[in-house]
Amino acid sequence: MGRYIARRLIYLLVVLFVVSAITFGLMHAVPGGPFDREKALPPEIIENLNRRYHLDEPLLMQYGRYLYDVFIPRISATPPKGSVDDDFLITVKLGNVWFKWMNFGPTYSSRSRTVNDIFRQQLPVSAQLGIMALLVAIIIGMPLGILAALKQNTIFDYLGMSVAIFGVSVPVIILGPIMIWIFGVTLKWFPPTGWGAKPPFVLGIFPRELGPEFFRYAIMPSVALGLGSSAIIARLTRASLLQTMREDYIRTARAKGLRESLVIVRHALKNSLIPVVTILGPLFAALVTGTFVTEVTFGIPGMGRYFVTSITNRDYPVIMGTILLYALILVIANLVVDIVYAYLDPRIRYD
Amino acid sequence: MRTKVWMVLSVLLAVAMLLAACQPATPTPQVIIETVVVEGTPRVVVATPQPTQPAEQRKVLRLAWGPGDIPTIDTALAVDVISIQLIDSMTVGLTRQNEQTAELELAMATEVKTSEDGRTYTFTIKEGVPWVRYNGKEVEQVLDCDGNPRYVTAYDFEYGILRTLSPATASDYAYVLYGIEGAAAYNQGETDDPSTVGVKALDEKTLQITFIEPAVYNLNIAGLWVAHAQPKWIIEGDDCTEGRGERWTETGFYQGYGPFTLKEWVHDSEISIVKNPFWPGDAVVPSPKIDEVHWSLIDTSAALAEFEAGNLDVTGIPTGDIDRIISDPKYQDMLRDTYTLGTEFYAFNTTKAPTDDVRVRLALALSVDQEAIVKNVIKTGSPAHWFTHPGVAGAPKPEKFPNLGVYYDPDRAKALLDEYLKEKGLTADQLDITLMFNTSEAHKRKAEAVQAMWKEVLGINVKLTNQEWKVYLKQRVAGNENIYRGSWVQDYPDANNFLREVFADNNGTPGAYQDVVNWPVAESEDGRIVYTPGTNPLYDKFVELVLAAAKETDPDKRMQLYAEAEKILVVDAAVIVPLQWYASKILVSPRVVDTPSITGYDRYEKWDIKS
Repeated sequence: MGRYIARRLIYLLVVLFVVSAITFGLMHAVPGGPFDREKALPPEIIENLNRRYHLDEPLLMQYGRYLYDVFIPRISATPPKGSVDDDFLITVKLGNVWFKWMNFGPTYSSRSRTVNDIFRQQLPVSAQLGIMALLVAIIIGMPLGILAALKQNTIFDYLGMSVAIFGVSVPVIILGPIMIWIFGVTLKWFPPTGWGAKPPFVLGIFPRELGPEFFRYAIMPSVALGLGSSAIIARLTRASLLQTMREDYIRTARAKGLRESLVIVRHALKNSLIPVVTILGPLFAALVTGTFVTEVTFGIPGMGRYFVTSITNRDYPVIMGTILLYALILVIANLVVDIVYAYLDPRIRYD
Repeated sequence: MRTKVWMVLSVLLAVAMLLAACQPATPTPQVIIETVVVEGTPRVVVATPQPTQPAEQRKVLRLAWGPGDIPTIDTALAVDVISIQLIDSMTVGLTRQNEQTAELELAMATEVKTSEDGRTYTFTIKEGVPWVRYNGKEVEQVLDCDGNPRYVTAYDFEYGILRTLSPATASDYAYVLYGIEGAAAYNQGETDDPSTVGVKALDEKTLQITFIEPAVYNLNIAGLWVAHAQPKWIIEGDDCTEGRGERWTETGFYQGYGPFTLKEWVHDSEISIVKNPFWPGDAVVPSPKIDEVHWSLIDTSAALAEFEAGNLDVTGIPTGDIDRIISDPKYQDMLRDTYTLGTEFYAFNTTKAPTDDVRVRLALALSVDQEAIVKNVIKTGSPAHWFTHPGVAGAPKPEKFPNLGVYYDPDRAKALLDEYLKEKGLTADQLDITLMFNTSEAHKRKAEAVQAMWKEVLGINVKLTNQEWKVYLKQRVAGNENIYRGSWVQDYPDANNFLREVFADNNGTPGAYQDVVNWPVAESEDGRIVYTPGTNPLYDKFVELVLAAAKETDPDKRMQLYAEAEKILVVDAAVIVPLQWYASKILVSPRVVDTPSITGYDRYEKWDIKS
């Protein structure tokens, strides 16, 4: 297993490299640049801006510069200045020297910030929301799916699947404002918008205070975001469990006289979880890196917005940063999913 | 056995949590980043927790803007409305535009003398205005290396203008200062000697600015945010201050001197500015009555919800909610009009058939019913009949020029088109015209409305096509279609910024839309319009009028000159179809005493909150 994981991690580097090359090529191939405005700037001003951000260099050199800044660690005798150009994600002091690694570059659309600032200040908010939404999705989705499968073609099944269909068909863009209207504006149970934690975050991700105030802000968006995913999980759990129940080994288990509850829990459920776990990987990556609509609807300062606006703004370093981050989380989540397979299905071996 | 299921579930949850904990943005030792040295004093700058409201109510004005972060509050780099709004609240220019009358007033300058040739202005700077910053508890004066307060001087203004113009700063808006002598050459790297720029601090309280040509709007430009004083020590560093470069605008570092100063800026989330008690209030820029202005950076729909829940004092209204809000009696007293000094229009490509013929262009323009579009489709703005927004200085006012520009006139439109069709031996449905706009639901609705009007009045089937914003900007210049959507919002509130800077040559810099409309000619070399004067009499006359207006000091004559130029632009040459002058509705809570602005910028130092 250890060797398997090591091999996968090496693949990860290859994947990131390929993703970065494709993204870099595509974003520069799209017409338009970061400094194209409604009011076209004079060419000299654009030249100044291009020079400031090294966009006047040949593309290959720009790409090389990017890889160098992101992947190659630096060692310096002076502490980092923390300026826009000298901002590293990882800065460690070892004796008298400073070890600096990963500079994802500046953002063109917010001149006093860097992509690293977005990772430090916006990513944790998105991750907090994403994890809570995923919990909501699992807690609602799995029991609903199991119930529907076990009571197939009964009122429970129809009711459960109706809820699931509702969850899939009502997007956050509808559900969000309705929830805000009912629980935020009318009943005043929750604050209509906002997020209950702000930077700096503990360990780069957790809110400093995990009190009721945090959850007051988090409940509405987590439910709104998680409901759609819970529907997917419920339907998948139901379908998978129904299929498993028809397997020979279930018949065998029943034939040897096992109690029905044992048959379901020990034999059917565990085996039916594989497809569910499979989608949890990508789902996790998607939820944790931020979701544009939920964040805009609920006024949450997460990073979902940057996936969209960086492309419309041609904010090259942010495009690269967000896509590499997404790729990284997706690959790691899939790796974890593969490891969980081995536990769920003893026939799966990676050695 | 049931425990086994729960084990599986909890393993899943644990994995989820674990993944989150070891996500790639490996936690940086936060202390390193957050501990900073401000003028020799170690200080941990942590975003301050929301202070608990003391017993006597602090007056906090709660606003919203967004969604998304405020692009910058750096004096030299700002380009958009909210950035400029914040900068104007935290620093003050030599001159300042009155938000209610749109007139220019002296602000940081107490006196201005103009030279004989009208090009050189000598400003006397207001004395006793200290630089301040918020130290986490209160606003304090900034001290120099000897421990004395730093006061705003002419040198700070000189530095501000030169920093904006320095090519290394790479300021988008440096070009607005190109009217200053030597500014363009310095900004374009032709010389690296800043002393060639026509800005000189003669002593601590005297600043001299020399412009290329005498013009009415020079004083306007001298007061723009890009020409405000800037604190050199915190940007570049000095003996006792660590230079912060572009990061000087962050919480804990920002220094200003205006009626408010920065308290806290949590990116993407909120920004608040507090009253600067050291600002010596006067009639133009009084000392604020409110203690704090707080912006939540949220979407307009979210802001309206917060307003309805009683958590905001001012909110915009999303298009979808306009009808509901306007018809609700409880909101009647809270509704206000707010203006953005800008215009939306359709620009003709004057070199592609059939819009290369002025009769076709005018026929299309005359069949657009601006009143109907604004009332039924846009719902907020006001119908525009010429280009320049009437709110800017020098612009023709509708009350004085009730017949200026293009108005819906189907009969005349049809006659013009028939004449053209007869000459060419065509029928209306044979005309191949395409209108292109940048992808947006709102722009699509407007385009469809206009498309229907053209079909109904002229019988022309105009095709619609759209493109993503940045691609659109490129294609608009390439000019493969006949009609393009356009909009223009003021850089500084003067008609010169509309007519001359958009459609005429400016000392070698082409007007912003000249390469879209290809008027007077299509050819251009590296962004420069190649035009032989005398070949397009209408354009020559237009240029003559806007140049004369730039120098005209009599307001009535000036307005008359611009009115004549407008007539050439929208009627005689019919280069554009004006659609709307931007305006929108906002809701203001009854507890707020506001001074409604016609300029698009609010002066919160004049606002109050009823206790």
